[in-house]
Amino acid sequence: MKPNEFDVIIIGGGITGAGMQRDCAMRGLRTLLIERSDIATGATGRNHGLLHSGARYAVNDAESAEECIRENRILRRIAAHCIDETDGLFITLPEDDLAYQQTFVDACRRADINAEIIDPDLARRLEPSVNPELIGAVRVPDGSVDPFRLCAANMLDAKLRGGQVRLQTEVTGFIKEGDTVKGVHTHNHLTGEDVDYLAPVTVNACGIWGQHIAEMAGAKINMFPAKGALLIFAHRVNNLVINRCRKPSNADILVPGDTVCIIGTTSTRIPFEECDNVAVTPDEVDLLITEGAKLAPSLSETRILRAYAGVRPLVSADDDPSGRNISRGIVCLDHEERDGIKGFVTITGGKLMTYRLMAEIATDLVCKKLKVDKACQTADVPLPGSEEKSYEAVAKKIWETPTTAQKAAAARMGTRAARIRTGNKRDDALICECEEVSVGEINAAIDRLEVSTLTDLRRRTRVGMGTCQGEFCACRAAGLLAKAHGCVERERKDLDDFLQERWKGNFPIGWGDTLREAEYTQWVYKHVLGL
Amino acid sequence: MKLQEHTKSRHNFEECMKCTVCTAFCPVLQANPLYPGPKQAGPDGERLRLKDPYFFNQALKYCLNCKRCEVACPSGVAVADLIQAARIKYDHTPPKLRDQLLASTDMMGSLARPFAPLVSFATGLGITKSMMDAMLKIDHRRNFPKYSGRSFESWLKRRKKEQAAFPEQVAYYHGCYVNYNYPQLGKDLVKVLNALGIGVQMLEKEKCCGIALITNGMSAKATRNASHNVAQLRQAVLERGLKVVTTSSTCTLTLRDEYPNLLGVDNADVRESVLLATRLICEKLEKGATLQFKADYHKKIAYHTPCHLERLGWGVFSERLLQMIPGVEFTLLDSACCGISGTYGFKKENYDTSQAIGEALFSQIRSVNPDVVACDCETCKWQIEMSTGYTVMNPISILAEAIV
Amino acid sequence: MKYDAVIIGGGLSGLVAGITLQKAGKSTAIISTGQNALYFFSGTFESLQEDRRIQELFTEAGVRVHYTPGVRLTPMGSFRESALSLEDIDLFPSAKIGRKALIVNFLGYHDFFSSFLAEGLEKQGLQCRVRFLNLPELERLEQSPSEMRSVQIARVVDPIWEKVVQEVRLLLKDEDTVVLPQVFGLQDGAVPDRIRQGIPARVVFAGTLPPSVPGVRTQMLLKKRYQLLGGVYLMGDEVVRAHVHEGVVHSVATRNLDNHYVEASAFILSTGSYFSKGLVANPFQVYEPVFGLDVDYRENRNEWYNPAFAEDQPYMHFGVKTDGQLRALKDGQPLENLYVAGSVLGDTHPELGTAAGLAVRSALAVADRIMEL
Repeated sequence: MKPNEFDVIIIGGGITGAGMQRDCAMRGLRTLLIERSDIATGATGRNHGLLHSGARYAVNDAESAEECIRENRILRRIAAHCIDETDGLFITLPEDDLAYQQTFVDACRRADINAEIIDPDLARRLEPSVNPELIGAVRVPDGSVDPFRLCAANMLDAKLRGGQVRLQTEVTGFIKEGDTVKGVHTHNHLTGEDVDYLAPVTVNACGIWGQHIAEMAGAKINMFPAKGALLIFAHRVNNLVINRCRKPSNADILVPGDTVCIIGTTSTRIPFEECDNVAVTPDEVDLLITEGAKLAPSLSETRILRAYAGVRPLVSADDDPSGRNISRGIVCLDHEERDGIKGFVTITGGKLMTYRLMAEIATDLVCKKLKVDKACQTADVPLPGSEEKSYEAVAKKIWETPTTAQKAAAARMGTRAARIRTGNKRDDALICECEEVSVGEINAAIDRLEVSTLTDLRRRTRVGMGTCQGEFCACRAAGLLAKAHGCVERERKDLDDFLQERWKGNFPIGWGDTLREAEYTQWVYKHVLGL
Repeated sequence: MKLQEHTKSRHNFEECMKCTVCTAFCPVLQANPLYPGPKQAGPDGERLRLKDPYFFNQALKYCLNCKRCEVACPSGVAVADLIQAARIKYDHTPPKLRDQLLASTDMMGSLARPFAPLVSFATGLGITKSMMDAMLKIDHRRNFPKYSGRSFESWLKRRKKEQAAFPEQVAYYHGCYVNYNYPQLGKDLVKVLNALGIGVQMLEKEKCCGIALITNGMSAKATRNASHNVAQLRQAVLERGLKVVTTSSTCTLTLRDEYPNLLGVDNADVRESVLLATRLICEKLEKGATLQFKADYHKKIAYHTPCHLERLGWGVFSERLLQMIPGVEFTLLDSACCGISGTYGFKKENYDTSQAIGEALFSQIRSVNPDVVACDCETCKWQIEMSTGYTVMNPISILAEAIV
Repeated sequence: MKYDAVIIGGGLSGLVAGITLQKAGKSTAIISTGQNALYFFSGTFESLQEDRRIQELFTEAGVRVHYTPGVRLTPMGSFRESALSLEDIDLFPSAKIGRKALIVNFLGYHDFFSSFLAEGLEKQGLQCRVRFLNLPELERLEQSPSEMRSVQIARVVDPIWEKVVQEVRLLLKDEDTVVLPQVFGLQDGAVPDRIRQGIPARVVFAGTLPPSVPGVRTQMLLKKRYQLLGGVYLMGDEVVRAHVHEGVVHSVATRNLDNHYVEASAFILSTGSYFSKGLVANPFQVYEPVFGLDVDYRENRNEWYNPAFAEDQPYMHFGVKTDGQLRALKDGQPLENLYVAGSVLGDTHPELGTAAGLAVRSALAVADRIMEL
């Protein structure tokens, strides 16, 4: 087989694509993952990072709820280092109908979700940030999941099993023979190279952008772009996920994730052209804060770090303008059956939580087409890094008395933290002080995790995700990247792009300490550094 | 709805701009690489600790609690409070015997007082010092404060009637040092205040302010002391209508700020009535009161602002008083930590750090070559006297010496 | 406490105003919330022209400045026009500053951008070599993962500058230019000059990430000068209330002095912009927190920002409104004895670097007004 030939080409480096590559690789297929920018840049990295228990869907969408709780249990097993087992609360406020609580709990139980009504007093003790006015509370096995880590771990596992990855590479067209897809034409945005790749099966795992890819292959899918805006608060206000116990609505989930917490979302239908550049409006920001403060009143006084928005990849079923009642169910299209296009599969719909199941369904189809008879193992084999249950255990195993940065690295990388060069002052030096990311950890990411830009590095390591939003670490890390890639000129532009990307999330909430920090960053980069 | 009108967090750590100014002022960082520094230990670390207490770092114990980071911070972040509060909240290792002994300044004082000459003699002996060094890890190079045979309290008690005769009254929170080690400072204060027509009363029963308990990991006991002392302050301020004066900058900071900020003991109703004596005297003189100074007084004085006085922001009062004395040649020393920070410098593991921190100050004192160094803190006094050989006096004692 | 003038804010503008007033025999106090923007100072007063008065003021304080219109090398290897600068900063007639450059950094120091400098200089036709010094004296700093910072390095290398000179000389081949990080002369401003004299090539000091060593030294020298002139510097304090009656400010109360009001015949507001909380933004407005002065800003929050980071940001132009004499306006009327100086005035253009120039010029202007009283 030639170097550009594979068993399967997967387009899209979101969690679905990465999960799929892992599944295919585990079943012995030669895989290629193609992504036009970086992993987790679409809806994968632009949501709450909620490890759904399924409770949110229990009343309206039993099927999704059941999928969620099953995958919830699986992810706890296979993705320990990407997951924070926090548990969650569904609270009833005085303005809500307390009668809904019973409907909710019954539906949860039917879906096999352990939902337990607890005393509001206990809820206040368990989660001191919760709105003290609550009149009811239900405890559910919600948690949080780091989508960047999860995506990187899936990609890494595929790579360790021989899979190949081409990031910053865009599919520009399909290679077709008659009604059969034989491969893809690609263009690499970094090197400028145009390369063709061949495989008997190509999988479209492009989320909302899948409509366009399908079109290129000659198939028509009706996607429904619905924008969801979210806010990140600068520290962890809550330690349990807080939801409203009512019909799902705007800004009713507050998720603690790593060092921050996230409130969301809104839901607005947007035209397809806007998918590549969704902006958060002041009205959305105000709504998120107002509604968020009902879950945890301290949010109204907590510094906001960023505003961002994602686009839900929902497959259109009707004309509901809110987009919220559309099934989030998994859609796997065999275009041979559906449109008479051979060698082409689309996997879409679903959600972050069910990525593994989506990958399994689509990989089953790919295997059937390739006549490979191998069972899926992704539910049983831990992802690289997740071999230990807790980061405390990881850190203790690697270092006798771990430093703060080593503890933080263990939390981010799981057992893979053992591969960070550490224990000497050069590698232990901190690049990102807010999130405690060392030179060693950054170099480990550059070595193994397909990093070409600062923004990529941020997704792998949390560099620049902390309070200062890259004020000091961006140019320090740029120095390391310039060295690793041997190109300063490219890094100069990368640094500009990174600062622009940070500012994009800052200005919609540009007041208070966020604006002070932004002003300082402007001084540092424009005045002091002369960028 | 006026959401997000203000943003705040406990000890306002989110106001940190990561500007690194605090790191330039931290005296420990300059001497001890094991200390993560105020930025990392404070606001940066706090975010991680909120994620998981597992991120608490034992190296926070190297913080002197000098609060210079707070004075320097352009954002007004309570950096040192964050660090000390984290130690209180997360560090559950029981304090060592040595730390317990060092922290119990009042207990040590009351035990030692009856045998004062003996204790002072013994702690001054080389053999005792070596034993303390070996067994307790109290550095043998330290000089121990001497204990006085008679407590200040008993001295003042015998003058109760005489003091009550003055037209104005204040209560004096003397602290452990004046009571057990150096009653003369208390007597000096009484002399100066009497000269202003102010009589000095005691609190009914004061306890150690507890700063050493806080920094040595005994916050429960510190909180008990705090509650007791605040009750005492209330009795004096609210019932007797008195201001409470002090002569130790550290006790003052503790009574006013550490109680509410670190121990959660509310003192809002009495806080503003607790004043360092130099401030009270300055305010009296501003309002027209006068002191009669000796005609032939002459002294070259170098004034060192103790860290906690710097934090209180009241150095200006002590400076003014000293500058007011005819015949005083005054030099304001560059603001720098002397390195002792209460019991910190007594610990063997901190001795070198402690001396390295103080070196800038010591060399400036040597180059000024004053007759006496003035300073409002007793532990700075021990450190400077031990390290430079210059005599250190509280501004109140200098004032007492200079008035007729 | 009563003074002729009380200055709220102890940064560059507050210190310049304070020194000027003290020199003129006025009694003043500065109330400063911690340290200030001098800690991030690039070392050049970009918008200032030659001005004997300003140069004298700095020279008397021991801050050595020079007026040489030209370009300076930025830390990222580009060039910026400058004129009045601290002596640490070299100004060149053009960006072609030499033929060959040796760029020297300390091993393990990430706040100095040697590769960017090399690339920038190569663009100007210089041949560049980057080398690293491995000084055992810096090992103690490096033991801490976060404290290889400019000021800490300066504390270590200042006393051993001769050794640095020796080490650089060993590295030097036929280069005519040597670029070093600006980490020299924290206490003693003469150290950079001694290094220049010790190395047989043109030595250029390029900036680092904050703190700025020349900036910190400038702050210390100005503060010291102010105190020697008898000024009272209240560090780490903050004005919490002002007593204003019929358009006249009578006194201010501070956090530390609680009920002890500080009185003065004139007040200067030099509290800086957002960073120093001289201006405060919330979702609804931009306001001045001490006196509630009139602020020139746009009502619509959307108009505060330019979505492009690199572009001019409207919010940075917002500032306190003043009359022709730099007296602050409140409800459209000037407060009789409250003058405004520095970046709380707004209209700072960081990309042009006018902040430091604005600070100095407005401070002198308000000091002059007060002296006329």
